[in-house]
Amino acid sequence: MNETATVNNHQDEIENTSTGLSNKKLMMWLFLASDVMFFGAFISTYLIYRGKSLNGPYPSEILDIPITTVSTFVLLMSSLAMVLALHYLKENQKNKATLWILGVVILGAIFMGFQVYEFTHFAHLGLTPRTNIFGTTFFILTGLHGGHVTIGIIWMIFLAYGSHKGTLRSDNAIDLEIAGLYWHFVDIVWIIIFTVIYLISANDTPPPGAELLIH
Amino acid sequence: MKKLLKKLFYHDGNGWWNLPKNMSLKPNPPYEGPIGGPWLLRLINFITYGGKSHAGPRFYIIVGVFLAIITALEVWAFELESQLAILYIPILLILALIKFIAVVAFYMHLRFDNRFFSYVFASGMVVGTVVFSLLLFISESAYMIR
Repeated sequence: MNETATVNNHQDEIENTSTGLSNKKLMMWLFLASDVMFFGAFISTYLIYRGKSLNGPYPSEILDIPITTVSTFVLLMSSLAMVLALHYLKENQKNKATLWILGVVILGAIFMGFQVYEFTHFAHLGLTPRTNIFGTTFFILTGLHGGHVTIGIIWMIFLAYGSHKGTLRSDNAIDLEIAGLYWHFVDIVWIIIFTVIYLISANDTPPPGAELLIH
Repeated sequence: MKKLLKKLFYHDGNGWWNLPKNMSLKPNPPYEGPIGGPWLLRLINFITYGGKSHAGPRFYIIVGVFLAIITALEVWAFELESQLAILYIPILLILALIKFIAVVAFYMHLRFDNRFFSYVFASGMVVGTVVFSLLLFISESAYMIR
């Protein structure tokens, strides 16, 4: 790596702003801090209503841990692809950067494919957002996460195009970096969802007397 | 009015997204490795791209493998749920926390970046955790009373 590239690596850190920090990056961190509250609201809503569905299907009958484990792995690897894309862009290696951004797009699309499959499968098994309180909280939380992933994929497609065309370069790598922050945030939200909804709740059975109450 | 808007939303009048370019090409800030201590110098050189950059592909791949291993451990814990009994949920939460920290610190570069970004994100996390923990506590208490 030559000296110019090394300097470019840190351009975003020596911004000529009132704070000395990149305004774009600061804005993204503020957004992510607020998004914590957004997802926190839906995760806590899920937890409040956990195990209180009066009719099935219940999580123990429907959640498929092996499939979700694979989709979790795919999303984690997309984060790896994202950070590698940023590294190569800062290194002025345009082709490698473009390829890794496309890697993020593909892995994100695979993750969404898993989610579409899961939603469709659950609907066939009789679980929709209207079926019970588990269905409502589950679909809203995972659906909103899926929405975030979809926005991230669209953003990455634009960035991949920019990198390919040469408009996204090492001197404006901050644009990819803030997209990367968003993408990694979506990943850490899924880390929590996977643990709380899938692993912890997967064996949730109906509350005592639930079926009697409904009749 | 135009001047006021400019002062509020524009930095040096360059527009929303066309923020000023870096004016000074200062040399690298002091080297920051992901792990402290001179005794780890060789390891640091390996994982941080020779100490020239924050971290290199090898380090990111190591973090990726680490994340995959933790995920496998989570699923293993899931298979052993009945044996783990009351330890099951704490173990899963600790494993999730380790993954969370690894992604935030290394992939989101908070470990290397200006501390102000860490404070911004941590403030959201702390407020969120406190508010929603209280909400869960109150909700569960009300359910138990009923």
